[in-house]
Amino acid sequence: MNRLTQLALSDEGFVFDPLTGESFTVNPTGLTILRGLKADRSLESIGREISDQFEALPEETERDITDFIHHLRTYHLL
Amino acid sequence: MDKQLVVAISGINAVDNPGPGVGVARSLKEDGDLNLKIIGLAYDAMEPGIYLDWLMDKTYIMPYPASGQQQFIERLQYIKHQSGLDFIIPTLDVELPLYIKYADKISQMGIKTFIPTMEQFRLRNKDCLPEIARRIGIKTPKTAVIHSFEGFSQTIKRLRLPLMIKGAFYKAYRAYTSQEAIGFYHRIVAEWGYPVIVQEVVAGDELNVVGVGDGKGFSLGSVGIKKMWITSQGKIWTGVTIKNRHMLEAAEKFTQLYKWQGAFEFECIVAGDDVYLIEINPRFPAWSYFATGVGHNLPSYMIRHVFNLPRLPAADYETGKLYIRYTYEQVTAMRPFQEMITRGEYSHEKIV
Repeated sequence: MNRLTQLALSDEGFVFDPLTGESFTVNPTGLTILRGLKADRSLESIGREISDQFEALPEETERDITDFIHHLRTYHLL
Repeated sequence: MDKQLVVAISGINAVDNPGPGVGVARSLKEDGDLNLKIIGLAYDAMEPGIYLDWLMDKTYIMPYPASGQQQFIERLQYIKHQSGLDFIIPTLDVELPLYIKYADKISQMGIKTFIPTMEQFRLRNKDCLPEIARRIGIKTPKTAVIHSFEGFSQTIKRLRLPLMIKGAFYKAYRAYTSQEAIGFYHRIVAEWGYPVIVQEVVAGDELNVVGVGDGKGFSLGSVGIKKMWITSQGKIWTGVTIKNRHMLEAAEKFTQLYKWQGAFEFECIVAGDDVYLIEINPRFPAWSYFATGVGHNLPSYMIRHVFNLPRLPAADYETGKLYIRYTYEQVTAMRPFQEMITRGEYSHEKIV
């Protein structure tokens, strides 16, 4: 099972990994991305939500998502 | 439950490097359906558990295990005669060989135990861990079992620093330089003798399991945790429950394969899908109350199993439950201390 799908997320951006006991915090953009990935949504759809929610330019949003996914891979969450 | 069971628990030295006994006693007291009298077995009159009158009904001083079997057996006979002892939960590594060796004799005295066999106890030897890990489908860090200084010198050249330098049963030091490694090696040889275990340091999360095996290959229950914060002595101060499938399955397989009897603690390092076995402790760990706090009262499961009492309904536990140890001060009369010193026993029932 994908580790990401098992993460516990709070509305405040507190993230707990029940597999390793690690916890960390993410900002609202990160939380939106994590929730989107957990729900198996496409990156385009997550990007659109972020652009709408935070009034960000699509290219900025795309960069943020790419960076964030890189971090998730670094931590073996994806 | 109508009949009262008298249960003795050792390791009530709830100090900065705490024994497991107080947590075990607390767990048993929390099973309201068990009618138990709790006896604390102490090796020193200043062990804090003696003074915790809400956990201990009576306490006795025990002879040190090094005093030999005669004193040990005679003391148990005395306690049995005085208090009607039904069951003992020994929780200290150093006393376990004595309880295991004389298990039959203790049983003939009408006192039950639920501890590993001597063969199972020997599995905790660190030089047995690679074979156990292999059989249960996990790994161990690169390990060398050393019997001479020459072998040690060759090994620290061969393996990559930092290295763990360990005694076969006790003590483990992390060495970052060859000089440090040599210093720890001499310290272990002087204190514990050979073999010395040299092990590569594996990066990952330090995860543990507490469990109880029924001696027939089944688990009575287990809980996985991560130690989030440890003291300078390496003891847990804060932890969180986790469910690492690979580690929990390995612990289950260990119970099954070795038909483990009694409590155990499984210490692992987990890096992604790789689980490395670091240590097996053949007893309850000092943090075993954590399992009780999340719905798995393992000491109670053990007593219910041994005395054929109704089992508690199978429970699951939630991940993300936090454990926080704290210090507490107890102020009491001089009398318990005085009686432990002069008579070697004290009953809290006498307090008015």
